[in-house]
Amino acid sequence: MSEPAVSIRNVRKAYDGHVAVRDLSLTVMPGMVYGLLGPNGAGKTTTIRMILDIILPDTGSITLLGKPHTDVATLDRLGYLPEERGLYKKMVVRDVLRFLGSLKGLSGAELDRRIDQWLDRLSLRSEAKDWGKSKVDELSRGMQQKVQFIGTLLHDPEIVILDEPFSGLDPINAQALKDTVVDLKTRGKTVLFSTHLMDNAERLCDAVCIIAKGEKVLDGRVSDVKAAHASRTVAIAVDGGTDVTAREILADRTLVEEADDQNTFFEARLAPGADAQALLARLVQRGVQLRRFELVQPSLHQIFLDKVGATGVERGMSGHG
Amino acid sequence: MGKLLAVVKREYFERVKSPWFLAGTFLGPVLFGVITILPAVLAMKQETSKGLTNIVILDASGAEIGARVRSALSGGVQSSDSTSVVLQALPQAELAAAESLVTKEVVANTRTGYLVIDSTVVGGGKVRYAGRNAASERDMDIVRAAVRQAVLSTRLTAAGLDPLKVQALTASRTEVSTEKLDERGRGGSGIGSIIFGYLIAFLLYMMIALYGQTIMRGVLDEKMTRVAEVIIASVKPDTLLAGKVIGVGGVGVTQQLIWIALGWAMITFRAPLLSAMGLPDVPVSLPSVSAGAIALLLLFYILGFTFYASLFAATGSMVSNQEDIQQASLPVTMLLVFSIIFMQPILMQPESSLSRVMTMLPFSAPVLMPLRMATTQVPAWELAVSLGGMALACFGAIWLAARIYRVGLLMYGKRPSFVEVLKWVRQAS
Repeated sequence: MSEPAVSIRNVRKAYDGHVAVRDLSLTVMPGMVYGLLGPNGAGKTTTIRMILDIILPDTGSITLLGKPHTDVATLDRLGYLPEERGLYKKMVVRDVLRFLGSLKGLSGAELDRRIDQWLDRLSLRSEAKDWGKSKVDELSRGMQQKVQFIGTLLHDPEIVILDEPFSGLDPINAQALKDTVVDLKTRGKTVLFSTHLMDNAERLCDAVCIIAKGEKVLDGRVSDVKAAHASRTVAIAVDGGTDVTAREILADRTLVEEADDQNTFFEARLAPGADAQALLARLVQRGVQLRRFELVQPSLHQIFLDKVGATGVERGMSGHG
Repeated sequence: MGKLLAVVKREYFERVKSPWFLAGTFLGPVLFGVITILPAVLAMKQETSKGLTNIVILDASGAEIGARVRSALSGGVQSSDSTSVVLQALPQAELAAAESLVTKEVVANTRTGYLVIDSTVVGGGKVRYAGRNAASERDMDIVRAAVRQAVLSTRLTAAGLDPLKVQALTASRTEVSTEKLDERGRGGSGIGSIIFGYLIAFLLYMMIALYGQTIMRGVLDEKMTRVAEVIIASVKPDTLLAGKVIGVGGVGVTQQLIWIALGWAMITFRAPLLSAMGLPDVPVSLPSVSAGAIALLLLFYILGFTFYASLFAATGSMVSNQEDIQQASLPVTMLLVFSIIFMQPILMQPESSLSRVMTMLPFSAPVLMPLRMATTQVPAWELAVSLGGMALACFGAIWLAARIYRVGLLMYGKRPSFVEVLKWVRQAS
């Protein structure tokens, strides 16, 4: 097996008595799309900044592609999109991109060729208008984000690190970002991104690490994580009218520990020791008109809620967005 | 190395390309010239117009000394402008009365001054001058020369020489030009080197202040636009800081080189230029500056700029908005302005212990040492201490700035206290 793309070992970082990251370890294998999940203030950005050697960890070690993360040459193989985005406002777009490219060791005609390619690809350049010749502050916000994105990927990095990449994106750009992540993966690149949007993570990630209050809650492949939390959740859809009976049954705490009532749809978590078969039998027996009865894998959102608890939600967590 | 170059190139070309650089480079000297040269020109104009016109010669010598003085003052020929120097020949007895009358006129500002030549002068007595311009060394030099010439020719005539011959022999006005001389050899005219030193010191101060603050604003701008985080994910903060200092410092050097070239061209082609404008050529005595002196000046600029630029950059990284920056940069600016206060005392007494200390302290040396070097011969060991101290201070400033910069660049919010900044320094090391 090849070396991990990113490996964090027992990293800790504290600011002025407040611990931002506490004994965190995680491994990202090459070619993976890896999600770093957690509510706001969980320590995601601090972790990412430590990976990039922007912030020094108090203790612990970090390696990138098998080398210490302080190695300058290794940093050239990384692409980084910070959460707070910005560019030199008064600079011409093409000059900004040339500068960002040259910081990663690109130069000359090769650099210009790549810039052209990307400008075409993200439709910033057409017969009618070449935005590459405009100043950054003449561009719309969406276009500026595209330019920033080009800057991140211009040097074809092996590891792409995106901090909250979906924040502030309109649906079209968000879709373009998802397409790009998939494209990067098919080309064998490693993508590590942080998000508090579980839906995005669930669809995109091969593996995740959920952190809260600076500590790891769980990590692993998404399929493994789900399997470990599976078959305790039942999705039930009923025909209207008989839902009173259904609610009575679902309120039975010997069978169901907790049910998420969405009117004609329920997501029920089985009580410890209870059997899905028994629940089905009871529902059929009482004449509930079932349209769907399915043992489901819980969503990452559900797993996250189970693990972190509702307090995490109130402190700035949004499950679906 | 490639990354450093990329940062240097961006810092340099983005600034040199901007219209502000062009405006500053070509309008700067005009403005600078107007500010520094104009008062001098006005003062000189005043001096010649008011100087030796409208004065009265009270001649009681009975030997035509007054007439000779008058002719010498008017440049050897009888002036047609009889109002400029009035000759009043009178007997010795009436001298006191006439003098008190003219004194009133001088007080009332209708006369500039008067010269008293009494009967003892031919025999070796004194000539007195009283007037509003008595403090002007230049005017008094001319009066002295005229009186000596007149007394000499009167005595020669009295001794039996042909008056025409005497006139021809004594009329030549020899001027004495002054030149500073020291162990290094010729240093140009004394007053010229003082003005030159003053200009150089002021220029160094301006360049350090201007471009130091340019770096500070650049750092704040990167922080405010949040581009800083992308950059330091690719470049170490130390490299970024170094790139900025070199790039912006290079802009300053470029500007200075353009100014030197412009100045050289002006002096070389001054005669045709002046005649094209219909003006007479006026000789300008410039202190001759050796290549070694220019190299030394450049060294002072580089060390001084590096010191202040690092501190300014650290200041820029400490704050998060434009409002805080003026206040936050006050300590650094004060340090720089502090040296300007000492320009006058050092010009007056370049060898005093105050001058010697101020030109060896690292924060004031870059501005004050070149000034002192222009006015006096600075011992080699003092130069070495000054440069060595500055080099050490540069290392200190860079070390400190890099640490503040590294942490400050990612800190947003309220302006940190002094204690907090100290914590950053510890945290980063």
